[in-house]
Amino acid sequence: MRALWLLPLALLAGCSDAKPDKTRLVIQRFFGACEAEYGRVADIAGAEGECGIMTAMINRFEAENPDIDLVENIVFWPGYDQLTAQLAANDAPDLVTMHGSVIPDYQARNLLEPLDADLAAIGAPPARFTSAARAAVTVDGHAWGLPIDTWAPLWHINLNLFRKAGLVRGGKPILPRSPEELYAQAQQFRDRTGKPYLVQGAANEYAGFTRNFYTFVMQQNGALFRNGRANFRTAEGRNALQLFKTIYDRDFTTKNQDYSAAVAGFLNGDGGVFLVGTWMVGTFDAKSRETSGALANGGYTVMPYPRLFQRAATFADGHNWVMPRNSRRTPEERAAAMRFLKFFAGHARHWARTGHLPAFQAIIDSAEWRALPHRDNLAILATTAQPLPKEVRRQFPLETIVGTEAASAISGAKPIDRTLSNMERRVNDVLDNL
Amino acid sequence: MTRSRLAIALVGLAAMLMLVPLLWVLALSLKANSELMADTASVFNGRFTLDNYRNLFGNGAVFRWISNSLIVSFGMTAGVLILASLAGYGFARLEFRGREMLFVIVLLGLAVPEQAVIIARHQMFSWLGMHNSYPALILPGLSAPFGVFLMTQYFRAIPKDIDEAALLDGASRFTIFWRLLLPLTIPAQATLGIFTFLHAWNDYWWPLISATNKEMFTLTVGIASTQMNFAQTEGLGFLMAQAVFAGAPMLIVYLFFQKYIVQAVAGAAGR
Repeated sequence: MRALWLLPLALLAGCSDAKPDKTRLVIQRFFGACEAEYGRVADIAGAEGECGIMTAMINRFEAENPDIDLVENIVFWPGYDQLTAQLAANDAPDLVTMHGSVIPDYQARNLLEPLDADLAAIGAPPARFTSAARAAVTVDGHAWGLPIDTWAPLWHINLNLFRKAGLVRGGKPILPRSPEELYAQAQQFRDRTGKPYLVQGAANEYAGFTRNFYTFVMQQNGALFRNGRANFRTAEGRNALQLFKTIYDRDFTTKNQDYSAAVAGFLNGDGGVFLVGTWMVGTFDAKSRETSGALANGGYTVMPYPRLFQRAATFADGHNWVMPRNSRRTPEERAAAMRFLKFFAGHARHWARTGHLPAFQAIIDSAEWRALPHRDNLAILATTAQPLPKEVRRQFPLETIVGTEAASAISGAKPIDRTLSNMERRVNDVLDNL
Repeated sequence: MTRSRLAIALVGLAAMLMLVPLLWVLALSLKANSELMADTASVFNGRFTLDNYRNLFGNGAVFRWISNSLIVSFGMTAGVLILASLAGYGFARLEFRGREMLFVIVLLGLAVPEQAVIIARHQMFSWLGMHNSYPALILPGLSAPFGVFLMTQYFRAIPKDIDEAALLDGASRFTIFWRLLLPLTIPAQATLGIFTFLHAWNDYWWPLISATNKEMFTLTVGIASTQMNFAQTEGLGFLMAQAVFAGAPMLIVYLFFQKYIVQAVAGAAGR
């Protein structure tokens, strides 16, 4: 028994792996771990998926920079609890993946380092970013990160069902240009296929409601926030909720499916249009290359949200590399971090294969990217994708409030005007108590 | 006789129902992620694979995480048993000023949830520069009011005649504790040890924020980190393999020690 108690202490003694002859670079990211498949892969072009491409890029960087001891912390999405704890302990990593919507929360508390001069020095100045990517990392006129990508919700379309519904012309899907056209097309779709027009993951999943609400308010030139406070009790807000309430009331959408069930439902042909983000493009495209299944034989395409109101706009967010403040970081470690960012920017075209929108305009304009499946349809997002204003903080929790309130209005549990009022009050409660 | 057969049948049925979710997890872990994404009912089509387990074991860090979990769990269990036994003996047998008040203060610890102290605790370990270390993962678990309470009650239940006889024979307090009373508390030690080990093995929150370096991850934090952003949809089989893998050690412990665990639960409930 005594020996057993001493075992942990003995094991404690043998745990150190410092490499003093190398510069240590600690990067922290989400996107999962896939070391079994990609642990030794440094051929970035041969990797697939977020995890695979990210892992291959990091492996390649390590191979090309033997003087850097790269420590990779892979965190459970999104990893902000850990980052906050690390910052409190002054033990933050050198580079961290962060959503654009979260950057202002950390920047406002002086927890990030501005990277304007560094980005220029590594040949990736903000002028080279797309407008959406530039907006994602820019706060108070400074760039606080290197954008990795932009993502936005999209209309993933089952072309096979669209053909059956008579909603394909010249090989392209016919999309609505107003709410009334949407209702008419949805009715036509239901009459001819017997299925709902939309597939939505709406159970236990509120982000989709929020993205739809933001998108269609933006399309009406509505201001969701004024002077950093919520401004939802507007005609634009009412129209956005009414649009989806009508869709719900007239059974133009699947109901009571969670995210996983909605993905499965779309793959099995439960409806015509699946409202989900850029990350599913590759998966659905692969299914469309098979010879059986609801999307088989090229029966899939994807488009940005159609313009139903005054202008084309889609709510967007994105992933970025940021550098948390750490008073213990040495100039050598900072330089190693910049070498990593330069490497990542130089290989950003590979990340574009994930389905996300590239952060660099030159990649979107390149023939190589346009040749990827469906990317021609999505290129317009470089200008129409729109994040929330940077003065809006706590966007993650706000997303849940807006989504739950929107869901209650759409399902009929609460009148739209009361919903907008509650939504605005609850969001402002958060913003007023920062 | 008929009534007892009916009872056995009902209990058997209930046991089967309890097993269904576990079997479902196991079955899903043996399916390809792509099949499950389209339809979880594909689990019945007979096509199984070990790819999810291959991918899990292919991550070299997994074995490090198991090692970390074992070190933390055994370390915490050993520490709690030592401290709780000493404290229990002290409260049960020694007369000192403020004993009752101190005991009440210890018991008040039962009413303080971990969430209430987590920030202060994190700051304290931060000031000490101890995050990402085994002591940081083990030490907070050593303050175990339940353990002190359990051991105190157990020591109180042992007749004092034993102590008095030993004192007359010239035994020291420590000899009485170590050689006479401690062996009599083995059932309580087993109870406390099992609960502490299970708590340490399954703990997620504190290791999540204290161990931020992946080499210091415990198994719970490590396997969570391997999940993709939409694991429940795109990597369901892998997710289930992780659940099986994380739960297997506890299942094995239960199979070998079920007699003691049942006694422990019954004893803790009755005490």
